[in-house]
Amino acid sequence: MADNVEFESLVARYYEPLYKFAFSLARDEPDACDLTQQTFCIWAAKGHQLRDVTKVKTWLFTTLHREFLGIRRKQTRFPQVELKEAAPELPAVSPAAISRLDTGQMLDALARMDDVYQAPVALFYLEDHSYNEIAEILKVPLGTVKSRLARGIGQLQQLLARDIAAGRNPQPPTL
Amino acid sequence: MNHDEAKTILMLYRPGTADADDPQIAGALALAKREPELARWLEEHSARQEALRSKFRQVTVPAGLKEQIISESAARVVTISRQRRNTVFAAVAAMASVVILLIVLSSSWIPHRQNDDNTMAIYQKQMVGIALRGYGMDLTTNDPAQIRAYLTQNKAPSDYSLPAALQKAAFTGCAVEGWQNVRVSMICFRTGRPLPPNQSSDLWLFVVDRGSLKGAPESNQPRFAAVKGLITAVWAQGDKVYLLGTEGDESAIRKFL
Repeated sequence: MADNVEFESLVARYYEPLYKFAFSLARDEPDACDLTQQTFCIWAAKGHQLRDVTKVKTWLFTTLHREFLGIRRKQTRFPQVELKEAAPELPAVSPAAISRLDTGQMLDALARMDDVYQAPVALFYLEDHSYNEIAEILKVPLGTVKSRLARGIGQLQQLLARDIAAGRNPQPPTL
Repeated sequence: MNHDEAKTILMLYRPGTADADDPQIAGALALAKREPELARWLEEHSARQEALRSKFRQVTVPAGLKEQIISESAARVVTISRQRRNTVFAAVAAMASVVILLIVLSSSWIPHRQNDDNTMAIYQKQMVGIALRGYGMDLTTNDPAQIRAYLTQNKAPSDYSLPAALQKAAFTGCAVEGWQNVRVSMICFRTGRPLPPNQSSDLWLFVVDRGSLKGAPESNQPRFAAVKGLITAVWAQGDKVYLLGTEGDESAIRKFL
């Protein structure tokens, strides 16, 4: 059935949200282009194996996420910072202060979050996905996605609050 | 449901989306309508969330990415059709035809990508990405002559000139890759270092026509750079640009130049 999906229309429909997801994870334009492109290359080679055409979107996002994790494992170039438990109350960071941040600062904070929260939080804010879709993309139960999202949002805001308080500048991606 | 439970649930609420259809969120929203304190918290939380969402929306997609995906996938499809000719020839050939047709159409209908996409740096990262993430070798052989013949046959750059040290390295095979509508020859070698069980190569050479790269080096003196965990050397000779990559530091690659 997947053979019936025209490749170009598939690319046209999904390359932008896939790129944004990739950029949220990789924080680097060429890397994000590479991940997006590789995702469609895998589709060209294996997409015919997908029987349910309604799953194309989640298949593409799942594939991109797997590719990202695979490359990161190989390169170990995304340093992780151990974070304490998220505070039960969200930090007092004002919407205006967040608005003054640039996208790079926000993605820098995302990259410093625990691994397990990064992809769900990116998918959450990109808004193309329901909770069920996020669960399907990440291959985890719905309840797990919700708890990861709640904790991930808390961590992100905690990090942003610290960055804003410290006047931190965005860190360039580590290559 | 108390206030704390409602707050926990509403942390996941994205106004203007289908989230409000979620029964738990719907219940928490109903409570917020009745409880002014919770309503104030929700208002501030929603404003904070909207500020964060706007940052994600500001991520812009590079011009020309779509065309690049289509063109490079077309090159892969052609490769696959060669490899699986006996089993899936008809299906793949049909797909390749569609993709090639689309490329031809897009070249006249869609404005060409900006030159900024055509940079040496992006090419370098893309090719290193291919080496790192695993690739399908089109031809597995230790015979340099067979590699050259295969690349000639498949219209990829084959009139390359290898440094003397690289000529003596152990060849493992080759593949034809794509870069913005042009073919790139990928020649694979083994350095002799121990490799993981599923890896046959750890030194890769990419050869492309110089005219296809903006910012390509003009010197035949190698320029070294660490890219995605590999050390790379880039140089030009004649009308070709060479990119050699392997793991390690500059000394690891210098011995092949």
